[in-house]
Amino acid sequence: MRALVLNYGVGNLFSITSGLRRAGFSAEISNEPRDADLIVLPGVGAFSAVGEFMLKWKDTLEDLRNSGVKFLGVCLGMQIMFEEGNEGGKTRGLGWFPGVVDQIRGAPKLPHIGWDILRQRSSCMLTEGLEGRYAYFVHSYMAYTRFPPAMTSNYGVEFPALICSNDAVGTQFHPEKSGETGKVFFQNLVRWLRS
Amino acid sequence: MTAKRIIACLDVKDGKVVKGVRFLDLKLKGDPAELASRYEDEGADEIVFLDISATIEGRKTLLEKVKETASVLSIPLTVGGGVRSVNDVSNLLSNGAEKVSLNTVAVDNPSVVAMASKEFGAQAVVVAIDAKRTGSGWRVFVRSGTMDTGLDAIEWAKKVEQLGAGEILLTSIDRDGTRDGYDLELTRAVVKHTRIPVIASGGAGKPEHFVSVFNAAGADAALAAGIFHDQVVRIRELKNYLKEAGIEVRP
Repeated sequence: MRALVLNYGVGNLFSITSGLRRAGFSAEISNEPRDADLIVLPGVGAFSAVGEFMLKWKDTLEDLRNSGVKFLGVCLGMQIMFEEGNEGGKTRGLGWFPGVVDQIRGAPKLPHIGWDILRQRSSCMLTEGLEGRYAYFVHSYMAYTRFPPAMTSNYGVEFPALICSNDAVGTQFHPEKSGETGKVFFQNLVRWLRS
Repeated sequence: MTAKRIIACLDVKDGKVVKGVRFLDLKLKGDPAELASRYEDEGADEIVFLDISATIEGRKTLLEKVKETASVLSIPLTVGGGVRSVNDVSNLLSNGAEKVSLNTVAVDNPSVVAMASKEFGAQAVVVAIDAKRTGSGWRVFVRSGTMDTGLDAIEWAKKVEQLGAGEILLTSIDRDGTRDGYDLELTRAVVKHTRIPVIASGGAGKPEHFVSVFNAAGADAALAAGIFHDQVVRIRELKNYLKEAGIEVRP
């Protein structure tokens, strides 16, 4: 399985790349989207920081998606799959899921750093074996969406933790940093890609 | 609600894990990647890797060791020690650190905290505060606890939050390595006056100390080094103990 980790200049690409390799992927970091089994939109950083990259590559990403490439978005990478983000000024996202990314309202402390429990809300191939497990989160923003998330977690407010469609999956948690939970998620991911 | 975190700390000098008492009398404890991996298996929620080498050679070793440690871990890694610039932060983040801890540089040049937070996000920026009790309060010390900055620890904690720190790693120099328990008063005061997560550090000696620092002082995470290295407390047993005491921890 070939995974392409997109480098849009924000965040720790090392961890996600190591995580994918541990899960059996041949993972490569690239500045430009191109054909692969899986394109990974990595996490951490401000939504606005990705704005320019999106402007340049949005159409290419759409084309790749239409040609059958599947996508994984992690943390910020999941957030940019929504229509719009308010971190660092209003910025357009990919619009693959309806909704807006905004600061977590009603949180006890921000950033939300640490381990919280995943709860299943609807079913998809990626959720198998994850109900009730702890995952690692690091974020101050969340997706406000009418799209039903597959899993949620709770930090003063219930927020989407895992969303999935047929060809795009997003996690607000960091599977590459979630210990055993992450390993289960990556196994699910491999099965999903093969399906 | 978010589980309380147990963090294992590796003080690394010239590529090896060491541990002292009150920042002095260092003893060798092992290889960072091996220890980090063992702690992950035992249930640690996070690893903190503090480089205490001062030499240029030590800095090169550091990046290699960070990379090596990060590649065996599937839990978060925070790296600190000797960070002087936004560029240093960037180098550590691209070599496998999730978060970078800033200490002396935050006092010498607070704008580094602000710039790093703006560029990499608050969640990537930890400010380490080494505090020592003086009279009625606590003062901030830098350069591995050797230099009194004259800053009040509580005021400084508020200031670093304003600057954009996403977390505070609060070490009591008085308690470091003593195993007499965390400085609860210090921790409580910093927790009370800030709105970002606080990691308590310095003085852990037995499981009861962890219960107190979570329940009585409100820490979000508790860090320890020596007691884990010497297997005085095993992380797995510690977590069971905390769970029994009604504290939410990740199994």
